[in-house]
Amino acid sequence: MNSSPLLRIENLRTFFYSQRKHAFVRAVDGVTLDVGRSETVGLVGESGSGKSITAMSVMGLLRGGPGVIGGRIEFESAHGRQNLLEKLQAFVEVHEQNGRVMSVSKDEKGWRKASERIMRNYRGKEISMIFQNPRTSLNPYMTVGGQIAESIRLHTANRSESEARERALYWLERVKIDSPKLRYKTYPAVMSGGMCQRAMIAMALSAEPSMLIADEPTTGLDATIQSKIVDLLEELKSETHISTLLISHDISVISRLSDRVAIMYGGAVVEFGPARQVLDPHEEARHPYTAALIDSVPSQQKIRDKSNLQAIEGDVLDTINVPAGCRFYDRCNRVKDGIRERCATQHPPLQEISSGHHMRCWLFAKG
Amino acid sequence: MKNRPYRVILITLLRELFLTMLLLVGVSVVVFAILYAAPGDPFSALLEGQLATDEVREQIRIAMGAQQSWYAQYFSWLFSVLSGNFGTSVRTGLPVSGELFTVSINTLKLTVGSMLITLLVAVPIALYTAMRDHRVVLGWPLTMFGYLISSLPLFWFGYIIIYISIHGFHFFPLASFGGESWLHTLVPVLVLGLGSGTISEVIRQLREEMTRVLGEDYVRTARAKGASVWKHAFKEGVLLPVTEIIAAKIPFILGGAVIVEQIFNWPGMGRMAWQAALDRDFPVIMGIVLIAASFVRMGSLLQRMVFIAVNPHRQRE
Amino acid sequence: MKKYIQTTVDVVDYSSLPLVQKYALADLLYVAYGLLIVMLVLVSYFAGMFDMLPHDPQQINMDLLMSPPGTDGHLLGTDFMGRDILSRLIVGIQAYFLPGMLAISIALAGGVILGVPAGYWGGRIATCITYISNLVDSFPRMVLILLVIAAFKPDIYYIMIVMGITGVPAVATAISNKIYFLSQKNFIEAARALGLRRRVIIFKHILWYNCRALLIIQATLGMGEAILLETSLSYLGFGVQEPVPSWGNMVQSGANYFLQGNFWPSTAPALAILFTILGFNLLGDGLNNILEDRRGK
Repeated sequence: MNSSPLLRIENLRTFFYSQRKHAFVRAVDGVTLDVGRSETVGLVGESGSGKSITAMSVMGLLRGGPGVIGGRIEFESAHGRQNLLEKLQAFVEVHEQNGRVMSVSKDEKGWRKASERIMRNYRGKEISMIFQNPRTSLNPYMTVGGQIAESIRLHTANRSESEARERALYWLERVKIDSPKLRYKTYPAVMSGGMCQRAMIAMALSAEPSMLIADEPTTGLDATIQSKIVDLLEELKSETHISTLLISHDISVISRLSDRVAIMYGGAVVEFGPARQVLDPHEEARHPYTAALIDSVPSQQKIRDKSNLQAIEGDVLDTINVPAGCRFYDRCNRVKDGIRERCATQHPPLQEISSGHHMRCWLFAKG
Repeated sequence: MKNRPYRVILITLLRELFLTMLLLVGVSVVVFAILYAAPGDPFSALLEGQLATDEVREQIRIAMGAQQSWYAQYFSWLFSVLSGNFGTSVRTGLPVSGELFTVSINTLKLTVGSMLITLLVAVPIALYTAMRDHRVVLGWPLTMFGYLISSLPLFWFGYIIIYISIHGFHFFPLASFGGESWLHTLVPVLVLGLGSGTISEVIRQLREEMTRVLGEDYVRTARAKGASVWKHAFKEGVLLPVTEIIAAKIPFILGGAVIVEQIFNWPGMGRMAWQAALDRDFPVIMGIVLIAASFVRMGSLLQRMVFIAVNPHRQRE
Repeated sequence: MKKYIQTTVDVVDYSSLPLVQKYALADLLYVAYGLLIVMLVLVSYFAGMFDMLPHDPQQINMDLLMSPPGTDGHLLGTDFMGRDILSRLIVGIQAYFLPGMLAISIALAGGVILGVPAGYWGGRIATCITYISNLVDSFPRMVLILLVIAAFKPDIYYIMIVMGITGVPAVATAISNKIYFLSQKNFIEAARALGLRRRVIIFKHILWYNCRALLIIQATLGMGEAILLETSLSYLGFGVQEPVPSWGNMVQSGANYFLQGNFWPSTAPALAILFTILGFNLLGDGLNNILEDRRGK
């Protein structure tokens, strides 16, 4: 599985620039993960940790500069492997000083052109995406069916209108929208959020991509609708075997759907491994942040025991003023004297601590 | 259920039509009120021309059940206007309606032409600058130019154009209307289209709208699925704002037309209104105000119709 | 190639940044220029009031017809009757001052009276007020003014009253939108929950704290419009009447000689109009961007 993953992100860096503060916002700084075929990888983190930006970087959808400035995004399609950031180096120049990025020069126009040329072959066709806020993500000026049919006609062999319509109806049925023929002709404004998200899923899958990026698919929906959407995703996952990158801050959603899990903090992946290992509260080898994150989630056991929920101490990381050492250092409760020096001054690397289990923490660092 | 969108369209359309009628009635009341408050008795003069004999006037009086009370006057005037009778001009003694028709067509030509010029210049610039994330390159000089143009007295701008066309191209654009050459039409249209100051506003509004729409979630979805951004952003980013701007700018352009018609001797409503104001020719000026107001109302009715047609379910107050 | 540079390692607090970094440079320049123009206008107005003029604006000098700037102590030259243009420009401002104020006050007062209930109560009241706004908006301003001129007389005060009334819908819409925006953010509900009186909420919290910037902006833009309108009416012969100078009738009377190649007598007042209105427009838009934080970086 790991030998030839479908998608492999290596050391991705996506920065923005704050005109107000004349400083970089290090939205994504060191994301490394891979998604295998017919596998679901969950990407977890607090809001502002760079999950969505990671997904948008993969799709090349970011607006605003400088955007992606480094890393590799490899994707395997029928035409072979390609690095989606192939020519990026030609457009970007990064100057670092003491490990801090001090200036970035980027030919944004040129890069946008090059990126659009590459991404034209992937967007929708190979990688589909669904978003949070389904109601605003569907075009309010087009019928639901029209939008699905458009996607079908763009990316599949069904080019004629009637064929596309038939396929769209099939997909509407598949995502369990009742009376699909009626819904085909309605506008998103008269549909509920859950219904819209089903339509979004239908639209994403109807192009028959090899990968789906689900960016917070349940956020902004009612709790009961949320679980239904998760049920649907689970069902579609077992039926279509589509590879999925599932982004969520909701650990319960992640644990239900993911085979492997990546935990993000402050723009970097801090832990990446099999879901069972990473999310297991009794596992010994855990990143302190993961441990804190899981302790902050209510579970039946905890409710039964009436034990206190553990809030994570401190504030969410300021991605402008990133500390020089471990980004979790200020909030970490497991710093030991032996490694305190390193935690405070050196950013730990992402290391494999056991087969398939990666960790970015000095506690588990080798050598 | 199946026909629901169409029914929604129909109901909304009827409501809009009703509103338009209501507003036009309001317009007639305002016009009447202004003239009623005017010194002198314009209405006796007004009715004089319309109702040839004393007999008829007497009949109207009886029909209204009173002496010429204000509402009797109003309704007799309103009904004659509705039947296409705007009275007779105090100055020429001829019925107003016929002349009103020809001049309003002339003004329509001028305003529609200048609107087209404005859009032809403004829309490409607005869309181009909206597509650029940073609008510094083209935006700065353009913005300044827009501000300058809208600060210029329109008639002075017209004089400059006349001067240039006489001394630069040996062409005298002031010849009275009658289509001596297409240039005689084009120059006034250009002056109104470029000089009225609408261009900068159209550019700014359209750019703002387009930039906003390009940042909408659904445009991101379109990009994510590999569809054309233009196709998805067109309705909300171009079609709606353009119709909105046209509807909102009609009164402004009609006002500018008064000046431009005066400069270029264009026999339109504006010139006629000016002449009527000089002569205190009430039937004429009333007719012109009513027609100008109906142009404005028609414009916004059209805009509402486009708005409803584009998305039957999205209602905006 | 676009270059981004991080100037500081430790990022400073936003509020301590100097003005220039806080707002767009363009907006600050706009406002600076606009304020300069406002100052100039005020100084000229009072100079005209107290007769501190380089020459007598009415003194006809047949030896110096349409002389270029700088001739014989006439800083901006003379017009077609040999009168000093600079003095006439300074005195000409008086033609706008009070009428313009009148138009603005009517527009603002009417806008508040209609806009506040429309935004605050909404519902049927808002529908009625929308109707009134649409009704006023149905009249092209210039045509309505011609109607009023025909009915009454070509008087600048009548004209400015019409201008004020036709300016009401824009102000009313801006205010009711602002109030709607505030209520969207539960601002008004919160104020009510605090037990504030309606009067206090409307006058202090809505109008004073949240709408004053908007009113200032509308007033500035309105002043520019008033000047342009008078200019147009002067051209039609309904503005301020000679020999009392106004910028509009100066352009108009000079324009008679324009096509003969004597540009200056009309260009001088036209430029005065251009730069003044530019000032008002830039001031309005700059203030809008800064105070209403539209451009927001």
